[in-house]
Amino acid sequence: MATAAGELPRAARGKKQEDVGQIPQWKLMVRRFRQSKLSVAALFVLGVMYLFMILGDFIAPYQHDVLDSNNPFAPPTQIVWGPDGPGIYGLKQELDQEKFQWVYTIDTSTIYPIRFFVQGYEYRFLGFVPSKLHLFGVEAPPDVNARIFLWGADKEGRDLFSRVLKGSQVSLTLGFFGVFLFVIIGSIVGTASGYFGGVLDNLIQRIIELIRSFPDLPLYMALAAALPLNVSITVRYFLITVVIAVIGWTGLAREVRGKVLAFRGADYTAAAIAAGAGHWHVITHHLIPNAMSHIVVVAMLAIPGSIGLETALSFLGLGILPPAVSWGILLRDAQTVQAVVTYPWLLIPVILLIITVLSFNLLGDGVRDAVDPYA
Amino acid sequence: MTNAVTGAETSNVQIVSEDDVVRVQDLKLNFYTALGVVRALNGVSFNIPRGKVLGVVGESGCGKSQTGLSIMQLTTGRIEGGSILFREFNTGEAIDITRLEKNGPEMRHIRGNNISMIFQEPMTSLNPCYTVGNQIEEAILLHQTQDKAEARKRAVDILQKVGMPNPERIADSYPHQLSGGMRQRAMIAMALSCTPTLLIADEPTTALDVTTEAQILDLMRDLQNEIGTSIMFITHNMGVVAQMCDEVAVMYLGRIIERATIDDIFYDPKHPYTISLLRSIPRLGVARGEKLESIKGTVPDPYSTVTGCPFHPRCPAAIPGLCDAVMPDETFVAGSRTHTVRCHLYT
Amino acid sequence: MLNFIARRVVNMIFLLIIVSFVGFWIIQLPPGSILDTQIQRLRAQGGNLPESLIQALRTRYGVDDPFYVQYWKWISRSLQGDFGTSFETDQTVAERIYNRLGISVSLSLTALLFTWLVSIPIGVYSATHRYSWPDYIITFVQFLGLSIPGFLLALILLITASRLWDQPIGGLFSPQYADAPWSVAKLMDFLGHVWIAIVVLAVGATAGLTRVMRANLLDVLNMQYIQTARAKGLQEATVIWKHAVRNAIHPLVMSLGTLLPALIVGETLIAIILSLPTIGPLYLDALRSQDMYLAGTILVMLSALLLIGNLIADLLLAWVDPRVRLE
Repeated sequence: MATAAGELPRAARGKKQEDVGQIPQWKLMVRRFRQSKLSVAALFVLGVMYLFMILGDFIAPYQHDVLDSNNPFAPPTQIVWGPDGPGIYGLKQELDQEKFQWVYTIDTSTIYPIRFFVQGYEYRFLGFVPSKLHLFGVEAPPDVNARIFLWGADKEGRDLFSRVLKGSQVSLTLGFFGVFLFVIIGSIVGTASGYFGGVLDNLIQRIIELIRSFPDLPLYMALAAALPLNVSITVRYFLITVVIAVIGWTGLAREVRGKVLAFRGADYTAAAIAAGAGHWHVITHHLIPNAMSHIVVVAMLAIPGSIGLETALSFLGLGILPPAVSWGILLRDAQTVQAVVTYPWLLIPVILLIITVLSFNLLGDGVRDAVDPYA
Repeated sequence: MTNAVTGAETSNVQIVSEDDVVRVQDLKLNFYTALGVVRALNGVSFNIPRGKVLGVVGESGCGKSQTGLSIMQLTTGRIEGGSILFREFNTGEAIDITRLEKNGPEMRHIRGNNISMIFQEPMTSLNPCYTVGNQIEEAILLHQTQDKAEARKRAVDILQKVGMPNPERIADSYPHQLSGGMRQRAMIAMALSCTPTLLIADEPTTALDVTTEAQILDLMRDLQNEIGTSIMFITHNMGVVAQMCDEVAVMYLGRIIERATIDDIFYDPKHPYTISLLRSIPRLGVARGEKLESIKGTVPDPYSTVTGCPFHPRCPAAIPGLCDAVMPDETFVAGSRTHTVRCHLYT
Repeated sequence: MLNFIARRVVNMIFLLIIVSFVGFWIIQLPPGSILDTQIQRLRAQGGNLPESLIQALRTRYGVDDPFYVQYWKWISRSLQGDFGTSFETDQTVAERIYNRLGISVSLSLTALLFTWLVSIPIGVYSATHRYSWPDYIITFVQFLGLSIPGFLLALILLITASRLWDQPIGGLFSPQYADAPWSVAKLMDFLGHVWIAIVVLAVGATAGLTRVMRANLLDVLNMQYIQTARAKGLQEATVIWKHAVRNAIHPLVMSLGTLLPALIVGETLIAIILSLPTIGPLYLDALRSQDMYLAGTILVMLSALLLIGNLIADLLLAWVDPRVRLE
């Protein structure tokens, strides 16, 4: 009996393919996605970013949290061509007595060479393999102030480039997992609500209505503020993810419920039920596959918002807390006009954030257009 | 004369009548989509005499709706050949619609005033945000009178004419408050509000149940007799054709493959496609257990071009070497001046 | 129609009660209160703090009461307009909130108006000129607007403004006007400060709504009734503005409900950068110092604004769409 019902959608899919020139559906999607050049470019940009994130510790020349009183607000290092390849000059630090700023002058007497694949601080490659190998580093005697700051240093003299790489491991993943979690919750709850209806549906809808009666950001802020402070970075990361998911699922659940309601009323579902298919079979064979493309699109479009949310919470001091790094924490240094005008490199994390969110938006848009190839 | 590859064959057969309201000549319509060019109409020619009903029949996707939309210049495709001559009977002037600017004042003057259109889906063809009366008045105010009270009066009158039980109340109702049949009556009222010369009805009863369908067809017949409007009746239902039409044009893949009077189509069909189409109608009195005939195969996908006669892959009488290579011309059936067919069997 | 409004209002009040309960519960979730911190600080300073004083403080703030008693004390006072005394500043909560809420609401309403005035025409243009160069440019700018955090835009505008006019722009007034009575000069000064806030507030929402408007209008333009309207011989502009836009505008109307509180609090970061005396920074401070009365009151007030916004949106929707009205 179950097979009879199972054959139905397969036959229906086969029919659909024939109509648009015998091309499989996924190929149509890929073709359509590739048509939107912006989305393809966005996918590429994100690919590069995630690659950098994964290889973060290997690429970063310094540890993200090592303070260096010799180099607060050191500007991005100028790279010169020396006798044996690229190198940098040393820096001299002076305090400008009038403006109360550190002023750096370049000491052009010696060029300290940049070496590739050097030994540095110890880390675990991909989180498992202990390693000391780094992509690049500067060879200089310890008493000389010659450190390479590709993107300058922050007020504690920490290398911004290394910090951005480290921060990406939070900022590029937390929003992602938050969405992943709420997609699971939202899909299950929405499907149950739409399929079984009755008291369950009513109850779920009331809960959703209640959650949605709170304005989003204040509720996120309140929940984040309620999280315990004295926990490890990993636990904090997980808790923030949960906060994002706990509020975020409601919108998706409503949409999935709507879809499920529509599909449940569809003739093929009625046919499956008439053929004796059980609830589980109907849900997994008729409702979920049909709602899938919609869920994927909603998820894709939710990721940038979720990333932005983590950044905002961390910026406000309610998300990830120092000494952990996320882009939101890096942004805290760039919040006054004066800082930004004096030390413009502090804006680099912001630019990366914009590129990330923009790319996810473009990607989501492309995916949305692509999963609807018959439109 | 015939060029099977480009489909640029022309029809040299004309059924000319001085009384024609519309004369479509060799109309070509293409859609440029992301997946390729769709040749929706490949040289369609027909004419509709004054006060007559022409049925345009065919499977979905054969271009019958696009033909109607082309006459209104409402198609999203590009008209890339042929002409559509329209004669406004009160003035006697003939205009080539394809030469008019798509949304220019002349074209807009014709739409709704001289040629109007009814669509398939009565549930969605009225704007949900405005009352039925308001939407009918809109057309009247645009073409007939500036006086709002007068427009209202005419709207109520025409609603009464289409058999609305309480026209005043209906005029103040919103579309969602009416049933499908009522909405289609309202659409007909709107289409006829400016007494057009030609009414294009695109499957107006397909979405309705059988009883309502019969009522609407009766109504259209009555109004047609009363007002004298010519109708281009687009449908895929041969039964409806028998009930409504004076003449029939059968379309297949963007071409008219047979044209004849209603009697000739039903009693003396020539083209194998027309014959199969008629056989696929269930009839009373046919022995039980006898299988209803269906046309084998499906319509080829719109992006590809079929060489030769477009019907040959499905045709039971296809002649190998001829039908799959050469596009047949449209020719008169022997001994008739009204019956044409596009098939190698009759050349 | 009256029935409809009455039903919605009753529903809203009911929801608000539950919301206040849940809101209060969330706010008092963090372990320990500011009172404990304060007691600790006093102890550290003065060494010996009499147990009686601590007890007095505890009773005053009702810290030892069970949750529902605390809630009842808080909500019953709130309903009388007495939002209690803030733990942190000893100033009345009402005073602090009202000052800032007024500024927040008026800023947000202006931003909302701006959003609508910009996103509807641009969305319509973008939809009716689909796949043209202007559409691509609009689309790209929209994505940029969606992706640039408001506070960065605030920074950029601040820098540009201070460079161009050679004056630091931030806050709502220049120092010399801050306490001056209203005059034309003060008004001009105010406008000179406030436009950045409004633009920055509106940009994200405008980008989003333009996108929604475009997508919706494209859907509506495929509707049969649009074809009907064209078949009547209406001008394209009438078809678009009378028949299509009215049907496509639903989500914009609906957005009124969610957008208003989002704007009011969404500006928290922006307000910090522009140093605006609005509710956002106050809420943040209250949360960070675990000032539960203040934070709870603001959260519930914002929820009330959201619900009122939704109600207004529903009423507007009923006005726009007869199907909702006559349901």
